[in-house]
Amino acid sequence: MVRSFWKRRIRNSGLLMVALALVWLWVRTRERNLQPVAHETGYIMIAAVFFLALYNIRKKVPFLPLGTSSTWLQWHLYVGLGSIGVFALHTGWHWPTGIFETSLFALYASTMLSGLFGLYWTRTIPGQLARVGDEVTFERIPALRRRMQWQANETVIESVAASGTTTLADFYSAQMYGFFRLPRGVKYFLRPTTSRRKSLLADMQHLQRYLSEPERKACEKLFALVRRKDELDFHGARQGLLKYWLFVHIGLTYALVLAASLHGLMATAFGGGL
Amino acid sequence: MPELEIAIPRPQRWDEPFGRMTDGDVNYLLKIEPFCRIDARTFPPTLPLRGILQGDTRIVRYEPGDLIVREGDYGHSAFLVLAGTVRVALERLSPKLLGRAERPRRTWRQAIAQLWHNSRLPEVRRRAEIKPAANGASIRHDPAEGTPRVFVQDVPQLLSTTGTARLGTGEIFGELAAMTRTPRTATVLAEGKATLLEIRWQGLRDLMRRTPAIRTHVERLYRENSLRAHLRETELLRDLPGPQLDTVVAATQFESYGNFDWYADFGAQRRREAAEQIAAEPLIAAEGDRPTGLFLIRSGFARVSQRYGHGHRTLAYIGKGHVFGLAEMAAMFDGNGDVAWQNSLRAIGYVDVLKIPADVVLQQVFPNCKLQNVKCKMQTGDKEDQSAIRNPQSVIAVGDTAAPLDSSLLDFLADHRFLNGTQTMLIDLERCTRCDDCVRACATTHDNNPRFVRQGPTHHQVMIANACMHCVDPVCMIGCPTGAIARDTDVGTVRIDDHTCIGCSTCANSCPYDAIRMVEIREPSGAIYIDEATQLPILKATKCDYCTGQLTGPACQAACPHDALVRIDMGKVEQVSAWLGR
Repeated sequence: MVRSFWKRRIRNSGLLMVALALVWLWVRTRERNLQPVAHETGYIMIAAVFFLALYNIRKKVPFLPLGTSSTWLQWHLYVGLGSIGVFALHTGWHWPTGIFETSLFALYASTMLSGLFGLYWTRTIPGQLARVGDEVTFERIPALRRRMQWQANETVIESVAASGTTTLADFYSAQMYGFFRLPRGVKYFLRPTTSRRKSLLADMQHLQRYLSEPERKACEKLFALVRRKDELDFHGARQGLLKYWLFVHIGLTYALVLAASLHGLMATAFGGGL
Repeated sequence: MPELEIAIPRPQRWDEPFGRMTDGDVNYLLKIEPFCRIDARTFPPTLPLRGILQGDTRIVRYEPGDLIVREGDYGHSAFLVLAGTVRVALERLSPKLLGRAERPRRTWRQAIAQLWHNSRLPEVRRRAEIKPAANGASIRHDPAEGTPRVFVQDVPQLLSTTGTARLGTGEIFGELAAMTRTPRTATVLAEGKATLLEIRWQGLRDLMRRTPAIRTHVERLYRENSLRAHLRETELLRDLPGPQLDTVVAATQFESYGNFDWYADFGAQRRREAAEQIAAEPLIAAEGDRPTGLFLIRSGFARVSQRYGHGHRTLAYIGKGHVFGLAEMAAMFDGNGDVAWQNSLRAIGYVDVLKIPADVVLQQVFPNCKLQNVKCKMQTGDKEDQSAIRNPQSVIAVGDTAAPLDSSLLDFLADHRFLNGTQTMLIDLERCTRCDDCVRACATTHDNNPRFVRQGPTHHQVMIANACMHCVDPVCMIGCPTGAIARDTDVGTVRIDDHTCIGCSTCANSCPYDAIRMVEIREPSGAIYIDEATQLPILKATKCDYCTGQLTGPACQAACPHDALVRIDMGKVEQVSAWLGR
């Protein structure tokens, strides 16, 4: 069934607001009646954390009719966002004290932040990937990179054989060999830019005046290869980010589930009748 | 110096004959009905009757109980009984008997058991699973015939419990399915020892062209059995009174365009320039020409295009049940004498059309049908409004093809023939995070073997992934010697029965979309199964089965977290459009 994403967003956001308002009203009512709320909001919180973690389990059993992954993700997003409000009510808007509570707070905050970053990336990066270069499978990128490097090497070697000069080859070994041989660095991984490509293309453009005819033809091929390699690096970096953030998010989630369970156990065991 | 040219004999039609027919066989055929009554002089020297019999037919001998054709198989040949008798089952036989085991829906327990039952190695089959008898079917390997054959073990029992009709010497069957590439409507089996002449469709087509008696026979069968029902399915003719419909039935002409074996050279076609591709498509109606009738698509696909610059722009594609030429006919009915086709209609691959001549449409159909309703469908609103003629969408308005897709996407879909798919996998690259959850889900539900590749041609943000599309015209089913690949008559998916598949690769070679993969199978220990005789690995054909039997429906779609993947019927353009415009 085809649904409009905007309608879904508005509906789910509205439902989340209503749910949060109800929880807030309930908490306020209990507080006014001098009834404790820490345990109750804690139960909601831990239920939310377990529910959020359950999504990863759902992904492991695609053969069970437990609802579509897309529906689960919607619940995951909105329960996750709603948990921020419940967390605030649970902590009473106070900074945590003690090592354990601070660690728990840090775990929750980092899990939440990684989730929010993930949400942003999963909504923005696919469009960037669709607009840049050909579609490539992440696992094939190293092989494609090697093939491109081989093509670049061959082009340069052929130009040396055809022209008898090494101007282009010298430039290639000094400035381009590394570009073709290696993936890009961490900085590019986090924030890819076209500056390296632009700089290389500008240098190659400048070099043209010193090249013989065969070298110039080889240089044209290298122009195309530089562009393709840059697009490949872009795909590698962006697809890599989409894959690796999930490892971080899931790792943090497991740690949070453990810490929150321990916190819940301790609070129940040593609650002192609150 | 290397040679620039190498002379070789030009490949000829019968270089690869259908069978091994000897001169004696052909002489024998020329003496018996119906060939003895055919005037060989009506055949041109390049296409002699003798050549057709030698190259396009084969004599096949069947043992008692052998299945000759099965209900649901895709036909590509007709049969003439030379000796013995065959039985046509008048009831549907059990899929198990036909070598097509039904895949029951899994229970929760079976679904959960996949967690620990899935193999760690690819393409594992337990030894008991690879014997054909594992699914109840019996397969006979006849060294003389070369091809394996599914047979029924207890023929008397089957005949006593199933209604059948007997066909004897001189009778023909299977010609309609062969000429229209439609599924066989009944199962036919050999009652005792029987000898049949199998005529492949190319030969049958040429025999029909040159022999009025055979053509009349086939057309009469179609007129009697199917044409009336087909016309009634058309909205325009649904309410037409009986006598007028009889006139339409009698006047309807059968026309075929394109190459029946379009899939054979599809790869080469696809590499051509777009303009060349369109130019090579046989023209059914040319823009600017005077309309001669109304075209109803019987099978296959056609492209509706309009001149644009130096090329042709696709406006829509139409398939089975759709109509072309309605707006022009309506304009003629309204008294506009100066009407011309506003668009061209071209065959994509192969198309069968029914043509109702213009005078019949104007005199018998329009005065007696609810024309106003038709015109509403054509989006004209007003009977007098001649804009319908100028509005290209009105041409395809009967049916559900009014195409709200942009022309470049239509061009892309038509050029790649993706319109063939009923469960095409579309991926929205603007939403796909390349997480491969779809591939993992597919693998998990298929014993850790993914049945599609998340790659394929793209157009803007749409990727058509390399997954079986469960085609309207499943050419993969043509020629399967054991009928292992078949369409599920209830749900429409094309499935391969792993037990019956003999690994001949016919289906994989025929699939124009490379959606079928031949795999080497192994036992749980990891040992590859090899053929005792040839020492070569045993192969099985594998492809997407649309998760038949799973509790979830297609796992790929259910596993996509971002609503980026959908399985969609390309015949329902409005669904594609709605999906893209979410």
